Amino acid sequence: MNEKEKKDYLAGYKKAKEKGVHFYPDILFKDAVVSLLIFILLAALAYFLGAPLEERANPSDTNYTPKPEWYFLFLFQLLKYFPGELEVIGVIVIPTLAIIFLFLLPVLDRSAKRHYSSRPWIIGITSVLGIGIIFLSIQSIRETPPPAEAGLGDPIAALYAENCASCHGPMITVPEGTNLHLIITQGSHEGGMPAWSGDLTNNEIDALAGFVLSPRGHELFNSNCGECHETAELVSSSPIELKAALNLGSEYPAHSELDIPNWDEVLSAQNRTSLLNFLVAPDGQRLFAINCSACHGRSVAYTGEEAELESLISQGGLHLEMPPWQEKLSSDDLDALARYVSSTDASAEDAELFSQLCSSCHGTLIPQMNDFDLARDKIATGGAHETMPVWGEVLTSEQLDALVSYTMDASEGTPLEVGRDIFSKNCALCHGDFGEGGVNPARPDDVIAPISSAEYLKTRDDHTLFQIIAQGQPNFGMSPFGSAFGGPLDDDQINTIITYMRSWEANPPVEYPPEMTLPDNVDLSGVEIFETLCSQCHRPDGSGIGPVLSDPDFQKNNTDQEIFNTISKGHPNSSMIAWSQILTDDQILQLVKILRNLNNDGSEAGTSGPASFANDVRPLFEEHCTICHGQMGGWNADTSENVINTGNNAPSVIPGDAKNSLLAQKMLGTQSSGGIMPPAGLLAEDQVRIILDWITAGAPDN
Amino acid sequence: MGSKIADWLDERLGWRSVWEAIFLRKIPKVNWLFTLGSATLFVAVNQAITGILLTLYYVPTPDHAYNSVQYITNEVAAGWLIRGLHHWGASAMVVLTVLHMLRVIFLGTYKYPREITWFTGVFLLIIVIGFGFTGYLLPWDQKAYWATTVGTKIASVTPGIGDWILRVMRGGPELSAVTLARFFGVHVWVLPSALMALSGLHLYLVIKIGISEMPGKDD
Repeated sequence: MNEKEKKDYLAGYKKAKEKGVHFYPDILFKDAVVSLLIFILLAALAYFLGAPLEERANPSDTNYTPKPEWYFLFLFQLLKYFPGELEVIGVIVIPTLAIIFLFLLPVLDRSAKRHYSSRPWIIGITSVLGIGIIFLSIQSIRETPPPAEAGLGDPIAALYAENCASCHGPMITVPEGTNLHLIITQGSHEGGMPAWSGDLTNNEIDALAGFVLSPRGHELFNSNCGECHETAELVSSSPIELKAALNLGSEYPAHSELDIPNWDEVLSAQNRTSLLNFLVAPDGQRLFAINCSACHGRSVAYTGEEAELESLISQGGLHLEMPPWQEKLSSDDLDALARYVSSTDASAEDAELFSQLCSSCHGTLIPQMNDFDLARDKIATGGAHETMPVWGEVLTSEQLDALVSYTMDASEGTPLEVGRDIFSKNCALCHGDFGEGGVNPARPDDVIAPISSAEYLKTRDDHTLFQIIAQGQPNFGMSPFGSAFGGPLDDDQINTIITYMRSWEANPPVEYPPEMTLPDNVDLSGVEIFETLCSQCHRPDGSGIGPVLSDPDFQKNNTDQEIFNTISKGHPNSSMIAWSQILTDDQILQLVKILRNLNNDGSEAGTSGPASFANDVRPLFEEHCTICHGQMGGWNADTSENVINTGNNAPSVIPGDAKNSLLAQKMLGTQSSGGIMPPAGLLAEDQVRIILDWITAGAPDN
Repeated sequence: MGSKIADWLDERLGWRSVWEAIFLRKIPKVNWLFTLGSATLFVAVNQAITGILLTLYYVPTPDHAYNSVQYITNEVAAGWLIRGLHHWGASAMVVLTVLHMLRVIFLGTYKYPREITWFTGVFLLIIVIGFGFTGYLLPWDQKAYWATTVGTKIASVTPGIGDWILRVMRGGPELSAVTLARFFGVHVWVLPSALMALSGLHLYLVIKIGISEMPGKDD
């Protein structure tokens, strides 16, 4: 626009103004009419639709699908077209360019022309932007998950298409070593990914993990095994078994009558690895649970180098460097070492002996053993891992890596235990063992709210928690705990407590009462109510949150009427709600009866019939024993006859005489030779009792 | 009597000249589309008034935010109306601002001599969007929490400083009480101040320069 055009414009505008009207009242009247209409519209919307308010924010509910306000929908939709690395284009580049375009509009378009027909470019670009925004918004509203592209008869691909494809597209690539099982199980707050553990079974999650981590293996499975096998029956079976089946081909017993080719001729080594990676996803936690926990429990204490651990696991039973110390040491020295590794109050001499003899291999690591006799036995005989399979020959390298890195991580879990200890000594008196709160001992009228709820923990950062613990909350009767404020705990201890409290986040021990609606016309029995509703918090045996319902003290101190009242009116200090709103008096009476029966400790229920080998006993053996014995032999649990007659020290069972049966002794820890079984620790009492009863009944094959 | 008081006041305030400058100024003949700007101003005033009333009861902490919003909706006299007007007013604000802007683009009104008016207008649009984003979290319901979680996460994609932006917006790595306090502060102090300053300038320019006429085919 040059000077003349400017002058012309101003002159023309002056004329237009002279021909025009006054702001007041002409224009102001129009404005007032429009404003009034808008106000009426807003008031009508407020009256008829109201302002929506959903459930209170629940940071632990990852099932919620976030949806922004409608005027951000187009941006949200735009993101879907720019996945992964390209995200930055949708989020930053395009919106920034749009804003810059808007801002610079008067600079870009400096011609004197004002009528739209003379400015096709500006009108065009604006229209494209406007229509684009409207289109994206509409698209976002109506967009439904893309149709599943599942191959027929391919349940895993269908599972993926149904559950994952709507967000992740046709396929996800994840970095190596991703603990996929855990991610799928727990979901991810950040990405808005729901926790699938509620909707999918463990096997399905395993199958999905294998599908994502080894797509090639999935194809191979479909073309080679899918005709006979369903994936779900094979995923997460023992890798030893899978490997054997793959290596033996037609020699493999279960395949012997079929026309099965030798796999090593049909499949390349690489393909066999892919297949194994698909069937047993390289997922440390699951691998540990399937393969190691039968002997090693929840985790192994390990502080050495990662490479060393890797060679240890891959060598397995070949790792026999540890000498049988009984040949070299006196009985007293063996006692001292065992004491050192199995108890915390060992003397300085014990420690000295350990550092002399053991630390050259074990380093500063003390192999944790809870049982003195077991420890002594281990040290005396040496060869700590002679019963351990040679995992290096069984697992693929991906699987081995995953297992090693999990074991490394898991062995660092000790601060948690320390934190729990400090918490129970210092905090549990007021906050309860699970941080569930209760009556404030400092002020009887006051109730302490739960500190272990997801909401509490989410809304306070570590620093805040630290301040609260260190300085106390004098207004609420909480004294300072930090040593800087005259309390008993130093900074490290407070941080350990916080670590422990954070462990609640993954699995909150206190939940707000679940939303429950019972259809009015369904008349549930007391047992059904207890199993579906009560046991959500109290556990089926009554040992969950709140008092232990089967505890004799609880039973003695509460009359039927008191228990009835608590159920019907709820408990003001806890998340126990007043059930009388949901249940009838009659149903609550039934519940009281059920609670009374919990005290009977199942001794009546357990003896309802003689234990059956096929239904009760063998499943226990299969779960806890065959993982090692199936491979390494020694003892065979297939049939009752084998249970009795096989084993290095057969007979393992003397029918009718549980006390003198070696099997029973090993399960009770009263054995005369060897260690207890299973090596990770004794079975639960009721499980042992089933097996003892079966032996006492003459070890029948029933 | 009335005119005497008016004269007395005019001698001291000079209100007549202000009245003439603002209300008696001449305006070119324009159509109904030119009411969009003042409609936006009206809704902004509506947001300010209802917003001030809401802060009388609203508590910006995670423990109480949700309850206080429930209280406003269910217990406070005409609370439902105040909250409803504020909620729908927010949407109306966005719609009207955008329509107003489209009208300005379509009629080429951003040209000489009204460039500065346009610049302030673009800033005002960004402020309105900022109001929408920060206000969304305040009820602390599921929608608020998760949409903000995702929204702040999206901003963190910015190359280089994304993580820093995320921490500044959330006041930490996670959405927390700090985030709520922060969003509340921005929503009721920072953005309103900016809105008042910029819309003051915007209005001053509109009155000073005058609103544009409808361009003819030859303009």
